[in-house]
Amino acid sequence: MKFINTIAVQTGRNLQKTWPTQFMTLLTVTLSVLIFSFFFLIYTNIIKTGEKLGDDLRLTIYLEEEPVLEMQAQLVRKIINFSPVEEIRFTSRNDAFKRLATQLGDNVDVLDDLDASFLPPSIEIYPQKNLNTLAQIQRFSEYLSTLPGAVKVQYGQEWIERFNYFTKLLQIIVFLSGILLIMTATFMVAYTIRLAVVARQAELEILRLLGATNNYIRTPFLIEGFLQGLFGSSLGLLALFFLYRWIQLRFTGPGILQLVQFTFFSPAIICIIIFASISLCIGGSFSSMRKFMRI
Amino acid sequence: MKKKQANKPIIEIVRATKIYPPDVVALEDITLSIPYGEMLFLTGMSGAGKTTLLKLICGIEYPDKGLVEVAGKDMNRIKANEIPRLRQQIGMAYQDFKLLADRTVAQNISMAMEVAYHNIRAIKNRVIELLQKLRLEHKYDALAGRLSRGEQQRVAIARAVANSPTLILADEPTGNLDSKTTKLVMKLFEDCNSSGTTVIIATHDEDIYRETDYRVLELHSGRFLAQEDMTTSTSNNMP
Ligand SMILES: Nc1ncnc2c1ncn2[C@@H]1O[C@H](COP(=O)(O)OP(=O)(O)O)[C@@H](O)[C@H]1O
Ligand SMILES: [Mg+2]
Repeated sequence: MKFINTIAVQTGRNLQKTWPTQFMTLLTVTLSVLIFSFFFLIYTNIIKTGEKLGDDLRLTIYLEEEPVLEMQAQLVRKIINFSPVEEIRFTSRNDAFKRLATQLGDNVDVLDDLDASFLPPSIEIYPQKNLNTLAQIQRFSEYLSTLPGAVKVQYGQEWIERFNYFTKLLQIIVFLSGILLIMTATFMVAYTIRLAVVARQAELEILRLLGATNNYIRTPFLIEGFLQGLFGSSLGLLALFFLYRWIQLRFTGPGILQLVQFTFFSPAIICIIIFASISLCIGGSFSSMRKFMRI
Repeated sequence: MKKKQANKPIIEIVRATKIYPPDVVALEDITLSIPYGEMLFLTGMSGAGKTTLLKLICGIEYPDKGLVEVAGKDMNRIKANEIPRLRQQIGMAYQDFKLLADRTVAQNISMAMEVAYHNIRAIKNRVIELLQKLRLEHKYDALAGRLSRGEQQRVAIARAVANSPTLILADEPTGNLDSKTTKLVMKLFEDCNSSGTTVIIATHDEDIYRETDYRVLELHSGRFLAQEDMTTSTSNNMP
Protein backbone atom coordinates (compact mmCIF):
# COMPACT_ATOMS: atom_id res chain seq x y z
CA MET A 1 0.00 0.00 0.00
CA LYS A 2 2.79 2.40 0.96
CA PHE A 3 4.59 1.37 -2.18
CA ILE A 4 1.54 2.12 -4.31
CA ASN A 5 1.01 5.49 -2.64
CA THR A 6 4.59 6.60 -3.01
CA ILE A 7 4.75 5.46 -6.61
CA ALA A 8 1.46 7.19 -7.42
CA VAL A 9 2.73 10.46 -5.99
CA GLN A 10 5.97 10.07 -7.91
CA THR A 11 4.15 9.34 -11.17
CA GLY A 12 1.82 12.30 -10.68
CA ARG A 13 4.81 14.55 -10.15
CA ASN A 14 6.50 13.31 -13.33
CA LEU A 15 3.37 13.78 -15.41
CA GLN A 16 2.92 17.27 -14.05
CA LYS A 17 6.41 18.16 -15.14
CA THR A 18 6.45 16.59 -18.58
CA TRP A 19 2.82 16.83 -19.65
CA PRO A 20 3.41 18.69 -22.96
CA THR A 21 5.56 15.87 -24.33
CA GLN A 22 3.31 13.28 -22.74
CA PHE A 23 0.33 14.88 -24.43
CA MET A 24 2.00 14.86 -27.83
CA THR A 25 2.83 11.20 -27.41
CA LEU A 26 -0.72 10.45 -26.37
CA LEU A 27 -2.00 12.16 -29.51
CA THR A 28 0.40 10.19 -31.68
CA VAL A 29 -0.62 6.90 -30.14
CA THR A 30 -4.29 7.87 -30.50
CA LEU A 31 -3.84 8.78 -34.12
CA SER A 32 -2.00 5.63 -35.07
CA VAL A 33 -4.54 3.45 -33.28
CA LEU A 34 -7.26 5.34 -35.14
CA ILE A 35 -5.59 4.83 -38.52
CA PHE A 36 -4.90 1.18 -37.91
CA SER A 37 -8.31 0.32 -36.51
CA PHE A 38 -10.03 2.30 -39.27
CA PHE A 39 -8.53 0.09 -41.96
CA PHE A 40 -8.90 -2.98 -39.82
CA LEU A 41 -12.60 -2.23 -39.34
CA ILE A 42 -13.13 -1.85 -43.06
CA TYR A 43 -11.19 -5.03 -43.67
CA THR A 44 -13.20 -7.15 -41.22
CA ASN A 45 -16.45 -5.81 -42.66
CA ILE A 46 -15.39 -6.46 -46.23
CA ILE A 47 -14.41 -10.00 -45.31
CA LYS A 48 -17.80 -10.49 -43.71
CA THR A 49 -19.55 -9.08 -46.76
CA GLY A 50 -17.48 -11.32 -48.97
CA GLU A 51 -18.66 -14.31 -47.04
CA LYS A 52 -22.22 -13.23 -47.43
CA LEU A 53 -21.83 -12.64 -51.16
CA GLY A 54 -20.23 -16.06 -51.34
CA ASP A 55 -23.47 -17.44 -49.97
CA ASP A 56 -25.32 -15.96 -52.92
CA LEU A 57 -22.79 -17.24 -55.43
CA ARG A 58 -24.42 -18.78 -58.45
CA LEU A 59 -22.92 -20.24 -61.59
CA THR A 60 -25.01 -20.25 -64.72
CA ILE A 61 -24.36 -22.61 -67.63
CA TYR A 62 -25.98 -21.60 -70.89
CA LEU A 63 -26.87 -24.53 -73.09
CA GLU A 64 -27.24 -25.05 -76.82
CA GLU A 65 -30.29 -27.23 -76.62
CA GLU A 66 -32.98 -27.79 -74.05
CA PRO A 67 -31.85 -31.04 -72.32
CA VAL A 68 -34.27 -33.89 -72.16
CA LEU A 69 -34.99 -35.40 -68.72
CA GLU A 70 -32.51 -38.21 -69.20
CA MET A 71 -29.85 -35.71 -70.20
CA GLN A 72 -30.69 -33.54 -67.17
CA ALA A 73 -30.08 -36.46 -64.82
CA GLN A 74 -26.76 -37.17 -66.50
CA LEU A 75 -25.67 -33.53 -66.16
CA VAL A 76 -26.60 -33.47 -62.47
CA ARG A 77 -24.55 -36.60 -61.89
CA LYS A 78 -21.52 -35.10 -63.65
CA ILE A 79 -21.75 -31.83 -61.69
CA ILE A 80 -22.15 -33.53 -58.32
CA ASN A 81 -19.25 -35.81 -59.13
CA PHE A 82 -16.95 -32.84 -59.47
CA SER A 83 -18.14 -30.83 -56.51
CA PRO A 84 -21.08 -31.19 -54.15
CA VAL A 85 -23.64 -28.42 -54.57
CA GLU A 86 -26.60 -27.02 -52.66
CA GLU A 87 -28.99 -26.85 -55.54
CA ILE A 88 -29.21 -27.31 -59.30
CA ARG A 89 -32.04 -25.64 -61.19
CA PHE A 90 -32.89 -26.04 -64.86
CA THR A 91 -34.37 -23.10 -66.71
CA SER A 92 -36.07 -23.72 -70.04
CA ARG A 93 -36.38 -21.13 -72.86
CA ASN A 94 -39.93 -20.41 -71.76
CA ASP A 95 -39.02 -19.98 -68.07
CA ALA A 96 -36.23 -17.58 -69.02
CA PHE A 97 -38.61 -15.58 -71.18
CA LYS A 98 -41.21 -15.36 -68.39
CA ARG A 99 -38.59 -14.29 -65.87
CA LEU A 100 -37.39 -11.53 -68.16
CA ALA A 101 -40.97 -10.37 -68.67
CA THR A 102 -41.56 -10.05 -64.93
CA GLN A 103 -38.24 -8.27 -64.50
CA LEU A 104 -39.23 -5.72 -67.17
CA GLY A 105 -42.57 -5.08 -65.44
CA ASP A 106 -44.34 -2.14 -67.13
CA ASN A 107 -41.92 -2.19 -70.04
CA VAL A 108 -42.97 -5.68 -70.99
CA ASP A 109 -44.19 -4.50 -74.42
CA VAL A 110 -40.61 -4.42 -75.79
CA LEU A 111 -40.84 -8.21 -75.86
CA ASP A 112 -44.05 -8.18 -77.94
CA ASP A 113 -42.40 -8.76 -81.30
CA LEU A 114 -39.92 -11.30 -80.05
CA ASP A 115 -40.12 -15.05 -80.20
CA ALA A 116 -40.28 -16.71 -76.77
CA SER A 117 -37.35 -18.91 -77.79
CA PHE A 118 -34.69 -16.19 -78.26
CA LEU A 119 -33.25 -16.77 -74.76
CA PRO A 120 -31.05 -19.83 -74.27
CA PRO A 121 -31.94 -22.54 -71.78
CA SER A 122 -29.64 -22.68 -68.74
CA ILE A 123 -28.64 -24.53 -65.59
CA GLU A 124 -28.19 -22.55 -62.38
CA ILE A 125 -25.85 -24.04 -59.81
CA TYR A 126 -25.67 -22.90 -56.18
CA PRO A 127 -22.41 -24.30 -54.84
CA GLN A 128 -21.79 -25.22 -51.23
CA LYS A 129 -20.33 -22.63 -48.83
CA ASN A 130 -16.91 -24.21 -48.71
CA LEU A 131 -16.37 -23.17 -52.30
CA ASN A 132 -15.11 -19.68 -51.56
CA THR A 133 -11.72 -18.94 -53.06
CA LEU A 134 -11.45 -17.41 -56.45
CA ALA A 135 -9.25 -20.27 -57.67
CA GLN A 136 -11.78 -22.91 -56.65
CA ILE A 137 -14.59 -21.07 -58.36
CA GLN A 138 -12.50 -20.69 -61.50
CA ARG A 139 -11.67 -24.40 -61.58
CA PHE A 140 -15.31 -25.34 -61.09
CA SER A 141 -16.38 -22.98 -63.83
CA GLU A 142 -13.78 -24.38 -66.22
CA TYR A 143 -15.07 -27.87 -65.58
CA LEU A 144 -18.65 -26.82 -66.11
CA SER A 145 -17.81 -25.35 -69.51
CA THR A 146 -16.63 -28.82 -70.66
CA LEU A 147 -20.06 -30.37 -69.99
CA PRO A 148 -21.84 -31.57 -73.15
CA GLY A 149 -23.99 -28.84 -74.64
CA ALA A 150 -22.52 -26.03 -72.55
CA VAL A 151 -22.01 -22.79 -74.46
CA LYS A 152 -20.86 -20.46 -71.76
CA VAL A 153 -20.46 -20.34 -67.95
CA GLN A 154 -21.11 -17.15 -66.01
CA TYR A 155 -20.62 -16.31 -62.35
CA GLY A 156 -19.91 -12.57 -62.27
CA GLN A 157 -16.20 -13.23 -62.87
CA GLU A 158 -15.19 -9.62 -63.12
CA TRP A 159 -16.90 -8.60 -59.95
CA ILE A 160 -15.51 -11.43 -57.90
CA GLU A 161 -12.01 -10.88 -59.20
CA ARG A 162 -12.16 -7.20 -58.35
CA PHE A 163 -13.47 -7.96 -54.94
CA ASN A 164 -10.66 -10.38 -54.48
CA TYR A 165 -7.99 -7.81 -55.40
CA PHE A 166 -9.66 -5.25 -53.20
CA THR A 167 -9.47 -7.47 -50.15
CA LYS A 168 -5.83 -8.23 -50.93
CA LEU A 169 -5.08 -4.51 -51.13
CA LEU A 170 -6.88 -3.95 -47.84
CA GLN A 171 -4.85 -6.71 -46.29
CA ILE A 172 -1.68 -4.87 -47.23
CA ILE A 173 -3.00 -1.57 -45.92
CA VAL A 174 -4.02 -3.16 -42.62
CA PHE A 175 -0.61 -4.76 -42.38
CA LEU A 176 1.19 -1.47 -43.08
CA SER A 177 -0.91 0.55 -40.67
CA GLY A 178 -0.32 -2.15 -38.07
CA ILE A 179 3.40 -1.66 -38.50
CA LEU A 180 2.87 2.09 -38.29
CA LEU A 181 1.03 1.57 -35.01
CA ILE A 182 3.80 -0.58 -33.61
CA MET A 183 6.54 1.81 -34.66
CA THR A 184 4.88 4.99 -33.47
CA ALA A 185 3.72 3.52 -30.20
CA THR A 186 7.09 2.03 -29.29
CA PHE A 187 9.29 4.78 -30.65
CA MET A 188 7.25 7.73 -29.47
CA VAL A 189 6.86 6.33 -25.99
CA ALA A 190 10.53 5.37 -25.88
CA TYR A 191 11.39 8.88 -27.01
CA THR A 192 9.20 10.57 -24.40
CA ILE A 193 10.55 8.39 -21.65
CA ARG A 194 14.04 9.15 -22.84
CA LEU A 195 13.36 12.87 -22.62
CA ALA A 196 11.91 12.38 -19.16
CA VAL A 197 14.94 10.36 -18.06
CA VAL A 198 17.34 12.98 -19.38
CA ALA A 199 15.33 15.79 -17.80
CA ARG A 200 15.45 14.00 -14.47
CA GLN A 201 19.08 12.88 -14.64
CA ALA A 202 20.12 14.94 -11.60
CA GLU A 203 17.17 13.70 -9.61
CA LEU A 204 17.77 10.08 -10.55
CA GLU A 205 21.39 10.33 -9.49
CA ILE A 206 20.42 11.70 -6.09
CA LEU A 207 17.70 9.08 -5.72
CA ARG A 208 20.32 6.39 -6.22
CA LEU A 209 22.56 7.95 -3.60
CA LEU A 210 19.64 8.01 -1.19
CA GLY A 211 19.05 4.29 -1.74
CA ALA A 212 16.16 4.22 -4.21
CA THR A 213 15.64 0.71 -5.57
CA ASN A 214 15.37 0.00 -9.29
CA ASN A 215 11.66 -0.58 -8.83
CA TYR A 216 11.22 2.79 -7.19
CA ILE A 217 12.87 4.49 -10.15
CA ARG A 218 11.45 2.27 -12.88
CA THR A 219 7.82 1.86 -11.92
CA PRO A 220 6.69 5.47 -12.54
CA PHE A 221 8.09 5.30 -16.08
CA LEU A 222 6.37 1.98 -16.71
CA ILE A 223 3.11 3.43 -15.41
CA GLU A 224 3.53 6.34 -17.79
CA GLY A 225 3.91 3.87 -20.66
CA PHE A 226 0.87 1.95 -19.45
CA LEU A 227 -1.25 5.11 -19.30
CA GLN A 228 -0.09 6.19 -22.76
CA GLY A 229 -1.15 2.82 -24.17
CA LEU A 230 -4.45 2.69 -22.30
CA PHE A 231 -5.62 6.22 -23.01
CA GLY A 232 -4.10 6.41 -26.48
CA SER A 233 -5.85 3.28 -27.71
CA SER A 234 -9.13 4.04 -25.91
CA LEU A 235 -9.29 7.52 -27.41
CA GLY A 236 -8.39 6.18 -30.85
CA LEU A 237 -11.13 3.56 -30.70
CA LEU A 238 -13.59 6.09 -29.33
CA ALA A 239 -12.83 8.44 -32.22
CA LEU A 240 -13.30 5.55 -34.64
CA PHE A 241 -16.62 4.70 -33.04
CA PHE A 242 -17.88 8.25 -33.51
CA LEU A 243 -16.69 8.20 -37.10
CA TYR A 244 -18.54 4.93 -37.59
CA ARG A 245 -21.75 6.30 -36.10
CA TRP A 246 -21.48 9.39 -38.26
CA ILE A 247 -21.07 7.34 -41.41
CA GLN A 248 -24.00 5.17 -40.41
CA LEU A 249 -26.24 8.19 -39.92
CA ARG A 250 -25.12 9.83 -43.16
CA PHE A 251 -25.57 6.75 -45.30
CA THR A 252 -28.66 5.07 -43.95
CA GLY A 253 -31.38 4.27 -46.40
CA PRO A 254 -31.06 2.41 -49.70
CA GLY A 255 -27.55 2.34 -51.07
CA ILE A 256 -24.23 0.56 -50.85
CA LEU A 257 -24.21 0.32 -47.07
CA GLN A 258 -27.50 -1.47 -47.14
CA LEU A 259 -25.80 -4.15 -49.14
CA VAL A 260 -22.70 -4.04 -46.97
CA GLN A 261 -23.92 -4.63 -43.42
CA PHE A 262 -21.42 -2.48 -41.52
CA THR A 263 -20.73 -3.48 -37.91
CA PHE A 264 -18.30 -2.22 -35.25
CA PHE A 265 -15.58 -4.31 -33.55
CA SER A 266 -16.67 -6.95 -31.07
CA PRO A 267 -15.72 -6.35 -27.41
CA ALA A 268 -13.06 -9.05 -27.73
CA ILE A 269 -11.36 -7.26 -30.63
CA ILE A 270 -11.55 -3.95 -28.74
CA CYS A 271 -9.85 -5.55 -25.74
CA ILE A 272 -7.15 -7.05 -27.92
CA ILE A 273 -6.38 -3.70 -29.57
CA ILE A 274 -6.19 -1.93 -26.18
CA PHE A 275 -4.11 -4.69 -24.66
CA ALA A 276 -1.70 -4.74 -27.60
CA SER A 277 -1.28 -0.96 -27.44
CA ILE A 278 -0.54 -1.09 -23.71
CA SER A 279 2.03 -3.83 -24.22
CA LEU A 280 3.73 -1.87 -26.98
CA CYS A 281 3.89 1.31 -24.91
CA ILE A 282 5.24 -0.47 -21.84
CA GLY A 283 7.77 -2.18 -24.10
CA GLY A 284 8.87 1.19 -25.47
CA SER A 285 9.26 2.67 -22.02
CA PHE A 286 11.19 -0.38 -20.86
CA SER A 287 13.62 -0.37 -23.76
CA SER A 288 14.24 3.34 -23.25
CA MET A 289 15.04 2.84 -19.58
CA ARG A 290 17.41 -0.01 -20.27
CA LYS A 291 19.34 2.22 -22.60
CA PHE A 292 19.43 5.37 -20.53
CA MET A 293 19.36 4.28 -16.93
CA ARG A 294 21.85 1.43 -16.69
CA ILE A 295 19.15 -0.72 -15.12
CA MET B 1 45.44 -1.81 15.62
CA LYS B 2 43.20 -3.24 18.28
CA LYS B 3 39.97 -4.98 17.66
CA LYS B 4 38.41 -5.24 21.06
CA GLN B 5 34.69 -5.34 20.25
CA ALA B 6 32.79 -8.43 21.17
CA ASN B 7 30.13 -7.92 18.53
CA LYS B 8 30.91 -6.96 14.97
CA PRO B 9 31.66 -3.29 14.29
CA ILE B 10 29.49 -1.35 11.86
CA ILE B 11 32.56 -0.34 9.85
CA GLU B 12 35.65 -2.47 9.39
CA ILE B 13 38.36 -1.22 7.08
CA VAL B 14 41.54 -3.23 6.68
CA ARG B 15 44.53 -1.93 4.73
CA ALA B 16 42.37 -0.15 2.19
CA THR B 17 43.94 1.82 -0.62
CA LYS B 18 42.11 4.04 -3.09
CA ILE B 19 43.81 5.31 -6.22
CA TYR B 20 41.98 7.65 -8.56
CA PRO B 21 43.01 7.25 -12.15
CA PRO B 22 45.59 7.78 -13.36
CA ASP B 23 47.70 7.76 -10.18
CA VAL B 24 46.23 9.96 -7.44
CA VAL B 25 46.64 8.03 -4.22
CA ALA B 26 43.75 9.38 -2.16
CA LEU B 27 43.94 6.77 0.61
CA GLU B 28 46.79 4.44 1.41
CA ASP B 29 46.81 1.42 3.67
CA ILE B 30 43.95 2.61 5.88
CA THR B 31 42.88 0.40 8.76
CA LEU B 32 39.92 1.43 10.89
CA SER B 33 37.23 -0.15 12.98
CA ILE B 34 34.14 1.66 14.22
CA PRO B 35 31.69 -0.01 16.58
CA TYR B 36 27.93 0.52 16.43
CA GLY B 37 26.86 3.70 18.20
CA GLU B 38 30.16 5.56 18.14
CA MET B 39 30.53 9.20 17.19
CA LEU B 40 33.89 10.28 15.82
CA PHE B 41 35.68 13.00 13.93
CA LEU B 42 37.71 12.51 10.79
CA THR B 43 40.06 15.41 10.32
CA GLY B 44 42.87 16.50 8.07
CA MET B 45 43.75 19.17 5.59
CA SER B 46 41.88 19.67 2.41
CA GLY B 47 42.88 16.88 0.04
CA ALA B 48 43.81 14.53 2.86
CA GLY B 49 41.25 11.96 1.75
CA LYS B 50 38.33 12.51 4.15
CA THR B 51 35.66 12.62 1.47
CA THR B 52 37.14 9.61 -0.26
CA LEU B 53 36.98 7.60 2.94
CA LEU B 54 33.30 8.47 3.39
CA LYS B 55 32.64 7.52 -0.22
CA LEU B 56 34.21 4.12 0.32
CA ILE B 57 31.92 3.60 3.30
CA CYS B 58 28.70 4.38 1.43
CA GLY B 59 29.67 2.52 -1.72
CA ILE B 60 30.10 5.44 -4.11
CA GLU B 61 33.75 4.47 -4.58
CA TYR B 62 35.40 1.10 -4.13
CA PRO B 63 38.83 0.35 -2.65
CA ASP B 64 41.54 -0.76 -5.06
CA LYS B 65 43.22 -2.79 -2.35
CA GLY B 66 42.13 -4.00 1.03
CA LEU B 67 38.77 -4.58 2.65
CA VAL B 68 35.89 -2.25 3.41
CA GLU B 69 33.08 -3.86 5.34
CA VAL B 70 29.92 -1.95 6.27
CA ALA B 71 27.26 -3.57 8.45
CA GLY B 72 28.88 -6.91 7.71
CA LYS B 73 28.85 -6.40 3.94
CA ASP B 74 32.07 -6.53 1.95
CA MET B 75 31.71 -3.48 -0.29
CA ASN B 76 33.78 -5.07 -3.04
CA ARG B 77 31.49 -8.08 -3.19
CA ILE B 78 28.12 -6.54 -2.42
CA LYS B 79 25.39 -7.37 -4.91
CA ALA B 80 23.93 -4.53 -6.93
CA ASN B 81 20.49 -5.10 -5.46
CA GLU B 82 21.79 -4.88 -1.90
CA ILE B 83 23.22 -1.40 -2.33
CA PRO B 84 19.89 0.49 -2.16
CA ARG B 85 18.93 -1.16 1.11
CA LEU B 86 22.35 -0.35 2.58
CA ARG B 87 22.24 3.25 1.41
CA GLN B 88 18.84 3.74 3.00
CA GLN B 89 20.58 2.89 6.26
CA ILE B 90 23.36 5.42 5.66
CA GLY B 91 22.57 9.13 5.75
CA MET B 92 25.28 11.11 4.02
CA ALA B 93 25.46 14.91 4.06
CA TYR B 94 27.58 15.70 1.01
CA GLN B 95 30.21 18.37 0.97
CA ASP B 96 28.60 19.78 -2.19
CA PHE B 97 25.09 19.20 -0.74
CA LYS B 98 23.65 17.48 -3.85
CA LEU B 99 20.29 19.21 -3.51
CA LEU B 100 17.77 19.70 -6.31
CA ALA B 101 17.71 23.45 -6.86
CA ASP B 102 14.23 23.46 -8.42
CA ARG B 103 12.58 21.56 -5.57
CA THR B 104 11.44 22.97 -2.27
CA VAL B 105 13.32 22.40 0.94
CA ALA B 106 10.61 20.02 2.13
CA GLN B 107 10.69 18.01 -1.12
CA ASN B 108 14.46 17.68 -0.96
CA ILE B 109 14.38 16.33 2.57
CA SER B 110 11.38 14.09 1.85
CA MET B 111 13.20 12.23 -0.92
CA ALA B 112 15.33 10.40 1.61
CA MET B 113 12.21 9.00 3.26
CA GLU B 114 10.19 8.46 0.10
CA VAL B 115 12.71 5.97 -1.25
CA ALA B 116 12.06 3.95 1.91
CA TYR B 117 8.29 4.16 1.28
CA HIS B 118 7.35 6.02 4.45
CA ASN B 119 3.84 7.37 4.40
CA ILE B 120 3.20 10.96 3.47
CA ARG B 121 2.08 12.17 6.90
CA ALA B 122 5.06 10.62 8.71
CA ILE B 123 7.39 12.25 6.20
CA LYS B 124 5.81 15.65 6.67
CA ASN B 125 6.00 15.47 10.45
CA ARG B 126 9.62 14.41 10.36
CA VAL B 127 10.54 17.22 7.94
CA ILE B 128 8.89 19.84 10.13
CA GLU B 129 10.58 18.47 13.22
CA LEU B 130 14.03 18.59 11.60
CA LEU B 131 13.52 22.06 10.15
CA GLN B 132 12.55 23.32 13.59
CA LYS B 133 15.67 21.82 15.13
CA LEU B 134 17.79 23.56 12.50
CA ARG B 135 15.84 26.85 12.63
CA LEU B 136 14.69 26.55 9.05
CA GLU B 137 10.96 26.06 9.54
CA HIS B 138 10.18 29.28 7.63
CA LYS B 139 11.95 27.84 4.55
CA TYR B 140 9.67 24.78 4.27
CA ASP B 141 8.32 25.81 0.88
CA ALA B 142 11.35 27.76 -0.37
CA LEU B 143 13.18 26.47 -3.43
CA ALA B 144 16.50 24.93 -2.43
CA GLY B 145 18.29 26.88 -5.17
CA ARG B 146 17.26 30.19 -3.60
CA LEU B 147 18.81 29.50 -0.21
CA SER B 148 22.12 30.76 1.10
CA ARG B 149 25.01 28.29 1.34
CA GLY B 150 24.54 27.98 5.07
CA GLU B 151 20.85 27.20 4.67
CA GLN B 152 21.51 24.68 1.92
CA GLN B 153 24.06 23.01 4.16
CA ARG B 154 21.47 22.53 6.87
CA VAL B 155 18.96 21.15 4.35
CA ALA B 156 21.58 18.62 3.26
CA ILE B 157 22.13 17.64 6.90
CA ALA B 158 18.39 17.37 7.53
CA ARG B 159 18.08 15.05 4.53
CA ALA B 160 20.93 12.88 5.79
CA VAL B 161 19.25 12.50 9.15
CA ALA B 162 15.63 12.29 7.98
CA ASN B 163 15.30 8.55 7.42
CA SER B 164 16.72 7.84 10.90
CA PRO B 165 19.67 5.89 9.46
CA THR B 166 21.95 3.65 11.53
CA LEU B 167 24.97 5.48 10.19
CA ILE B 168 25.37 9.20 9.52
CA LEU B 169 28.26 10.46 7.41
CA ALA B 170 28.66 14.23 7.49
CA ASP B 171 31.19 15.74 5.11
CA GLU B 172 32.27 19.20 6.28
CA PRO B 173 28.85 19.83 7.83
CA THR B 174 29.79 23.18 9.34
CA GLY B 175 31.85 24.60 6.50
CA ASN B 176 29.39 27.38 5.78
CA LEU B 177 27.88 27.94 9.21
CA ASP B 178 28.35 30.57 11.87
CA SER B 179 29.21 29.43 15.38
CA LYS B 180 25.61 29.58 16.60
CA THR B 181 24.25 27.44 13.81
CA THR B 182 27.22 25.11 14.14
CA LYS B 183 26.10 24.41 17.69
CA LEU B 184 22.58 23.55 16.47
CA VAL B 185 23.98 21.11 13.96
CA MET B 186 26.35 19.49 16.45
CA LYS B 187 23.48 19.19 18.90
CA LEU B 188 21.44 17.39 16.24
CA PHE B 189 24.28 14.92 15.62
CA GLU B 190 24.73 14.34 19.34
CA ASP B 191 21.00 13.68 19.71
CA CYS B 192 21.15 11.15 16.90
CA ASN B 193 24.21 9.55 18.47
CA SER B 194 22.64 9.28 21.90
CA SER B 195 19.72 7.41 20.38
CA GLY B 196 22.20 4.86 19.06
CA THR B 197 23.19 6.13 15.63
CA THR B 198 26.80 5.88 14.54
CA VAL B 199 28.01 9.32 13.42
CA ILE B 200 31.15 10.14 11.46
CA ILE B 201 31.95 13.79 10.93
CA ALA B 202 34.61 14.71 8.42
CA THR B 203 35.89 18.24 9.05
CA HIS B 204 38.85 20.53 8.99
CA ASP B 205 37.12 22.89 11.43
CA GLU B 206 39.22 22.59 14.54
CA ASP B 207 36.68 24.42 16.67
CA ILE B 208 34.15 21.64 16.64
CA TYR B 209 36.44 18.86 17.87
CA ARG B 210 39.06 20.69 19.93
CA GLU B 211 37.50 19.99 23.30
CA THR B 212 35.59 16.88 22.47
CA ASP B 213 35.65 13.52 24.19
CA TYR B 214 34.88 11.70 20.98
CA ARG B 215 37.55 9.89 19.03
CA VAL B 216 39.41 12.07 16.53
CA LEU B 217 41.22 10.51 13.58
CA GLU B 218 43.54 12.65 11.52
CA LEU B 219 44.26 11.90 7.90
CA HIS B 220 47.39 13.19 6.27
CA SER B 221 47.87 12.62 2.56
CA GLY B 222 45.71 9.55 2.65
CA ARG B 223 47.22 7.98 5.77
CA PHE B 224 46.28 8.15 9.41
CA LEU B 225 48.67 10.51 11.10
CA ALA B 226 48.52 8.85 14.47
CA GLN B 227 47.10 5.76 16.08
CA GLU B 228 43.35 5.49 16.25
CA ASP B 229 43.08 5.92 19.97
CA MET B 230 45.28 8.96 20.13
CA THR B 231 43.53 12.07 21.26
CA THR B 232 43.82 15.51 19.78
CA SER B 233 47.23 16.64 18.70
CA THR B 234 46.38 18.85 15.83
CA SER B 235 48.89 21.65 16.02
CA ASN B 236 49.66 21.73 12.29
CA ASN B 237 46.08 21.27 11.15
CA MET B 238 45.03 23.86 8.60
CA PRO B 239 41.46 25.03 8.39
N1 LIG C 1 37.17 11.86 -8.59
C1 LIG C 1 38.47 12.12 -8.38
N2 LIG C 1 39.35 11.93 -9.37
C2 LIG C 1 40.66 12.17 -9.18
N3 LIG C 1 41.16 12.59 -8.02
C3 LIG C 1 40.34 12.79 -6.99
C4 LIG C 1 38.96 12.58 -7.12
N4 LIG C 1 38.34 12.86 -5.95
C5 LIG C 1 39.34 13.24 -5.12
N5 LIG C 1 40.52 13.22 -5.73
C6 LIG C 1 41.83 13.53 -5.14
O1 LIG C 1 42.01 12.67 -4.03
C7 LIG C 1 42.59 13.34 -2.96
C8 LIG C 1 41.69 13.27 -1.74
O2 LIG C 1 40.53 14.01 -1.99
P1 LIG C 1 39.34 14.12 -0.95
O3 LIG C 1 39.01 12.78 -0.47
O4 LIG C 1 38.25 14.88 -1.59
O5 LIG C 1 39.98 14.99 0.21
P2 LIG C 1 39.29 15.82 1.37
O6 LIG C 1 37.85 15.50 1.39
O7 LIG C 1 40.00 15.42 2.61
O8 LIG C 1 39.51 17.25 1.04
C9 LIG C 1 42.83 14.76 -3.42
O9 LIG C 1 44.17 14.88 -3.86
C10 LIG C 1 41.87 14.92 -4.59
O10 LIG C 1 42.40 15.81 -5.51
MG1 LIG D 1 36.26 16.67 1.18
